[in-house]
Amino acid sequence: MSEAQPILRLDEATIKFGGLTAVNKVSFELNRGDIFGLIGPNGAGKTTCFNLITGVYKPTSGEIYFQGQPIGGLAPNKIATRGICRTFQNIRLFSALSSVENVMIGAHLRHKVPLVGALMLSAKSVAETSALREHAMHLLELVNLADYANHRSADMSYGKQRRLEIARALATDPELILLDEPAAGMNPQEKEELLYTVRRIRDELNKTVLVIEHDMRFVMGLCERIVVLDHGEEIAQGPPDAIRNNPKVIEAYLGEPA
Amino acid sequence: MTGISNSFWPVRLASVVGVVALCFALDRVVLAAAPAQYRLLILASLFVILAVSLNLINGITGQFSIGHAAFAMIGAYTAGTLSKNPTFANMPPAQLLAVMTLIGALTAATFGFIVGLPSLRLRGDYLAIVTLGFGEIIRIVTNATESLGGSYGMPVAPKVQLLWWSLLMMAVCIALCRNLLKTTHGLTFLAVREDEVAGLAMGVNVTMTKVVAFVIGAAFAGAAGAILAHTEAFISPRTFPMEMSFIILTMVVLGGTGSITGSALAAVVLFAIPEYLRTLTDAQGKAYEMNAGLFMGVLIGIMIAVAASKWIQTNVHEKGKKLGFYAGAWLAVIPLGFLFQTILHLSPTLKQLSFGIDILRYAVFAVVLIALMLLRPQGIFGHHEIGWHWFRKRPAGATEGGAA
Repeated sequence: MSEAQPILRLDEATIKFGGLTAVNKVSFELNRGDIFGLIGPNGAGKTTCFNLITGVYKPTSGEIYFQGQPIGGLAPNKIATRGICRTFQNIRLFSALSSVENVMIGAHLRHKVPLVGALMLSAKSVAETSALREHAMHLLELVNLADYANHRSADMSYGKQRRLEIARALATDPELILLDEPAAGMNPQEKEELLYTVRRIRDELNKTVLVIEHDMRFVMGLCERIVVLDHGEEIAQGPPDAIRNNPKVIEAYLGEPA
Repeated sequence: MTGISNSFWPVRLASVVGVVALCFALDRVVLAAAPAQYRLLILASLFVILAVSLNLINGITGQFSIGHAAFAMIGAYTAGTLSKNPTFANMPPAQLLAVMTLIGALTAATFGFIVGLPSLRLRGDYLAIVTLGFGEIIRIVTNATESLGGSYGMPVAPKVQLLWWSLLMMAVCIALCRNLLKTTHGLTFLAVREDEVAGLAMGVNVTMTKVVAFVIGAAFAGAAGAILAHTEAFISPRTFPMEMSFIILTMVVLGGTGSITGSALAAVVLFAIPEYLRTLTDAQGKAYEMNAGLFMGVLIGIMIAVAASKWIQTNVHEKGKKLGFYAGAWLAVIPLGFLFQTILHLSPTLKQLSFGIDILRYAVFAVVLIALMLLRPQGIFGHHEIGWHWFRKRPAGATEGGAA
């Protein structure tokens, strides 16, 4: 795999639900180390796009390549194993479990001890579990949740739950992390912190980030490149400044000029 | 290798030796002190195995299964059929029981795999119906198979009653489930229960996890069935009625879905109640009779108390006041019982009617379940475990119970 190869490439990815084409021939490329934005009005097909990439849906036509390998239609857990992980727009934590346990489940992909070892509670499995717990604590620190490690995840505030989802996704040690509206429901200060956290994820952990977000200030401040969807079609692609002034994008968001 | 403390192996060795020694010691003590209870204790430990293994499927992995008695039945009939084989004729009883337990477990595990497969596609109610149907199919097919003794049943030879063996199996079952929950592997089982979609996105092999839960759960049920067959020396489809599955399920729900120790304790209690009621006889050995009017009156009183408790739970917040209200509501059961008896006795038929007291157990189960669902739907112990940590100080910032 050469460095120049895009880490993720959508090649005319399309999905149809009956007569509705939710995502129509969308193509874009992410390079390693990008912070890439995916925006568009409500119902544009952004989350469906995420669902295609993470294997929740199988593309009707077109293909998705991750690190040069086609992944369209693979089972979600297989895709997670390959190194793509996501957060959810409507938070999906393991609500009865504590924060640290949530993150440990994300980290389970790293464990090597087979199930039999766990059932016997072998020395290795004990050591591995405590190592994973330590790793999980580390990630909780990254998202400023270390003090809440033993709190039931369902009892935490919305903003904290969003940050916990990011920590959990990072625990799978992905190459590419997909954030679905990470700033939704956050106050301006929390958004500022999130901006900083996402940058750290890229700069310190060397991850590639694909983010869906409605908050334009947040997206423009964070992303280096943005693709805009509207009614399942790709209408623009480029750096934030170009997107801001693109008449098609303005029209999609504000309606036809009067 | 880091993270293993020096005390790991000594502690492990000591606990295994300790548990085995305890099983033997209990066996000796019971044999010497209360030989009449020997068989009952074996049965109680078997019910603990059944409840804890169902808890792995129902409570921990969240797959609603209500055909658990069928797995026990498969184990029992496997043991009953195979022990007739001349190969096992000269085997010492303990060894035979061990071999039969293992074979019963393997056979049941195979069936667990088969039932586990449809569960990959079904959720909730649909899975419950499939497992219920599976249980009934196994029972009815056995009922109609002459070579298995049909509806009459079949004698199992030799009769082997070994409390230490069933206690040991119970310890193994509890230990395996507890070990699982102590590792990240166990957390993936909980992840399947909590949110399958999120689990998949985190790379959890949901399919595999469910099948593993079914296979392990069924294996232990099969082991319990095999031991049961040799303990009772006779098995028939009536030994494993549909209500047995529901009683096991009640144990799991009552103890708290996901709590191993909770379901184990509930199994012992729910097994003991009907057995105790059965011993309540007069001098002639006849079960005590209870007036139907009084019985129904008290039942109505209890239901009113449950409803009142629900109201207190949601509307009274002051601690002392709350306790007083609860005490009042439950004390009122007695006058309410007599009041309703008087009303019910207006009907001459009811006045004449009386029940044997052992029938009470059905009412006990029903009332306990209704009260539980209203007052504490997560089960008595919820997701918590009973353990030493109850006696330790809680670390600052920890939530109630923390882990499931």
